[in-house]
Amino acid sequence: MLNDKNIYKPIRAKLTDVIDESQLIKTFVLVPEDKFSFKTGQFIELSVDGIGEAPFTPSSSPLVTEKLEITVMKTGYVTEYMHMLKPGVYMGIRGPYGRGYPIESFFGKEVLILGGGCGLAPIRSLLYALEGIKDKLVKVILCYGSKTPADCIYKPLFDRLNSTEKFEAYRTVDKADENWNGSVGVATTLLNKIKINIENSVAVVCGPPIMMKFGTIRLLELGYKDDQIYLSMEKNMSCGLGKCGHCMMGEFFVCKDGPVFTYDEIKHNPEIWK
Amino acid sequence: MKLTIDELKNIRFFDNYNDEQLKIFIGISSIKEFRVKDILFEQYDELSDVYILLVGCLSLGISLAKEKRIRLGTLEEGQLFSWSAVFSPHISTAWVMATCPTKVLAIDAKKLNLEFEKDCEFGFKTMSKIAQTISHRLSDTRFQLMNQLTL
Repeated sequence: MLNDKNIYKPIRAKLTDVIDESQLIKTFVLVPEDKFSFKTGQFIELSVDGIGEAPFTPSSSPLVTEKLEITVMKTGYVTEYMHMLKPGVYMGIRGPYGRGYPIESFFGKEVLILGGGCGLAPIRSLLYALEGIKDKLVKVILCYGSKTPADCIYKPLFDRLNSTEKFEAYRTVDKADENWNGSVGVATTLLNKIKINIENSVAVVCGPPIMMKFGTIRLLELGYKDDQIYLSMEKNMSCGLGKCGHCMMGEFFVCKDGPVFTYDEIKHNPEIWK
Repeated sequence: MKLTIDELKNIRFFDNYNDEQLKIFIGISSIKEFRVKDILFEQYDELSDVYILLVGCLSLGISLAKEKRIRLGTLEEGQLFSWSAVFSPHISTAWVMATCPTKVLAIDAKKLNLEFEKDCEFGFKTMSKIAQTISHRLSDTRFQLMNQLTL
């Protein structure tokens, strides 16, 4: 829902809650002054007055238009400032931008989602969307890896998904502590656990570039075809409109042509895993 | 205690074997059980069996010193491990410990190698599966290393 008067002017949104997800990650609950809708996988530009603007993919349900949740990892100037914000302040939202997940093309299929780190934020939005169309899906499997148990965000999500018909969720950590009884190893090790009919499935990969690379390679080894794998690319999206060129990846503007691509579309690009 | 052909067919590792080939595995394997904290083998142990995890939970890791174990990963049901038993010098590259009551299929590696010589097609198929296991373990370890390097 772009502001039709000035495409660069943000919509005001009130910060109503801040949820601590991990030491470095918080979820910001925003109530936009106008109803705000997006398709899962699309991103927004979120701004803090006088500080700056940064791109984020909402982590909330695309079916909810009254509020928006954005999960933010503290990584730089804008996000560090955001982590200091308290409920009650106003922020700016521009967007939504880009091409999200084509979930209608998932109908009748098994959906495998491979995620890592902060990539679970956009995946959560996708999971909400898939829950809304679960009658049209065969099953949904989430395999998620975090560095440590403390880095795993949305912990209740896993129990909820595992008690939801047609959904299975698994998680692993690179480095366990003494209280961790679950799987240890990178996210791809969870692929040894699952049963999936690859011919009738699609795979979604979302996470840090290293994880996206190793994850995609393993999916190809398992027999997935290039056009069955969807990648959510995180590049330096700035204007969101395909004008500034900051997010260019070969022939594509990630902000406009993506951020969701099939591996088939971008596999020849040398910057794919950067 | 032995598994049946139908039971083997439910284990991912045995996909694409015919009944005759599954009978070979049954003839040279046995089921072993382990309790919590049992060490199946230590790093640098000489190995005689290649294992497939049937039920339970196993951790795999390396040791820096006798008392200092580093857990690198867990194994999933149906996964093959202890592959060093098949190759000379048959020395394990990691330790494996049960973290809950566990059952494994232990395949006699010497007998398995003899079967490879009798039936090259069986040998090639099995070695390909073992190589794939090692390749995945290597790839996962590189991924894990990259994660640590970029912390």
